[in-house]
Amino acid sequence: MNIDGILERHAATKCVECGRCTYACPAAQIGGDFSPRRIIEDIENTGKVPANKDIWLCMTCMQCTEICQFGVRFHEVIRDIRPELSRVLPAEENHGGVPELMERLSSMRGIRPNKQTWVSEGLETDLSSDSLLFVGCTPYYDVIFRYLRQDLLEIPRSSVRLLNAMGVRPKILADERCCGHDAYWLGDMELFEKLARLNVEAIEKAGVSQVIAFCPECYTTLKYHYPEVVGKLDFEVRSLTQMLGVAVEQGKLQLDPMGDDITYHDPCRLGRHAGIYSEPREVLSAVSNLKEMPRSARMGACCGNSSWVNCGPKTRLWQLERLKEAAETGASGMITACPKCLIHFTCAQNESVQLIERPKMPVTDLHVLAASRLKKGLVNPAGESLHS
Amino acid sequence: MGHTESGDEPKMDQPQPPSAEGWQPHIVAFCCNWCAYAGADLAGMNRRQYAPNMRIIRVMCSGRVASGMILQAFVSGADGVMVLGCHPGDCHYRVGNKFAEQRVRQVHELLSLAGIDPSRLLLQWISAAEGELFGRTVDSFVNQIKALGPMGVDE
Repeated sequence: MNIDGILERHAATKCVECGRCTYACPAAQIGGDFSPRRIIEDIENTGKVPANKDIWLCMTCMQCTEICQFGVRFHEVIRDIRPELSRVLPAEENHGGVPELMERLSSMRGIRPNKQTWVSEGLETDLSSDSLLFVGCTPYYDVIFRYLRQDLLEIPRSSVRLLNAMGVRPKILADERCCGHDAYWLGDMELFEKLARLNVEAIEKAGVSQVIAFCPECYTTLKYHYPEVVGKLDFEVRSLTQMLGVAVEQGKLQLDPMGDDITYHDPCRLGRHAGIYSEPREVLSAVSNLKEMPRSARMGACCGNSSWVNCGPKTRLWQLERLKEAAETGASGMITACPKCLIHFTCAQNESVQLIERPKMPVTDLHVLAASRLKKGLVNPAGESLHS
Repeated sequence: MGHTESGDEPKMDQPQPPSAEGWQPHIVAFCCNWCAYAGADLAGMNRRQYAPNMRIIRVMCSGRVASGMILQAFVSGADGVMVLGCHPGDCHYRVGNKFAEQRVRQVHELLSLAGIDPSRLLLQWISAAEGELFGRTVDSFVNQIKALGPMGVDE
């Protein structure tokens, strides 16, 4: 890929090399040889992609773009240099490359994925529905990460329960593929385009007017990145977390308070990428006492890794530091809204990392928590009881 | 089964577009050094004829075969994958085949979620003395894959 014009495209010519991005960047703190500022400088000086394997440490969490005073969209520069970088210095895949390979397998046109095995009794889905629940890779992660935690399938199940409580019986797509988020941010545009086209084709064939995603990565990918390859979408993409926040605020969804002190970890895709900060807080304030961590909302620290590449001992130290920060608020649990944040923080607590005090901080998914606090015998806005 | 550098041989890293006409399955077999690979040797020494669709990858132990390696074989164009190791209790490294069993179970689960027939992945224990069993396993697996058809075409 040609990197000519890359700096102009993402306003990086305005960089004054102040270094704020490097101070804010989790990858720079994790270590190695990574500095957003210096990468811009290198491209400016040499006109080439710097041959630096630590560019794979970047989580594209957008902290640098958020803090920049001059509007440099650094995470987009990284995205655009990765196709070139992967030819010279490919990323080191974690977990045996299994998540990435499943993404690749799911892009084969002839196969019909069968991911609905998680649908359990009492969940109301409807094939003629106008709303579709995009499930994403969580069923795969349930298999791959079962040694870490056994409850990952509770996330899609709770999402259906919450939608039911809001009066929505979602449709679930039979041949839903991986959304292609990891391919997009790792610079594999060919794979991403293939997945985007297959998914959009399937969703359009399903004839729905809205697609609801509980996973922030699926949400941002469908909403912001699919139009980049397939043009304007015929359907609306909505975040379940956001819908929940709005429903709680308007009193359409009632949750039983439990009174515990909890803290919220902002997933980067939901927060900085999609600008959804207040809605999850609305949900959490309704069920508990929300204690904010020092680094939260716009300045929320990333979970340490993205797209399952180049994870290492220093990533784990970063995650433990974040867990310690959560413990210091006095909260008895940390809530997040992204399955990957959940897996990463669970892994950090399971792994035997030496020479550091390891805080025990239970991590829970926001949707699972909200669904467990649903008031019983709920009547949906249409007046029809869903739990007869 | 000799490898030739002629252009006729289909390359594993470039999946050929599957066509029903004259299609032959590509099979990857991970054989452990101590039992299954020796079993394949014995089949050869006994002049046991078996289907030529298979490429053997010798590994020191079936426990070396990571889930990612099996999936990589499928992504690279294999229509079927075999993991062949020592009988339980006979592993040269004591418990390697137990790991293989766990991983194959995991990949079976992933394949069925992805909508790929899990019978495209076979785990079989073959000892160094079972050349005949090796030939029989390959023949029946190749027939099974032929019946399933090319990978990724309307499973």
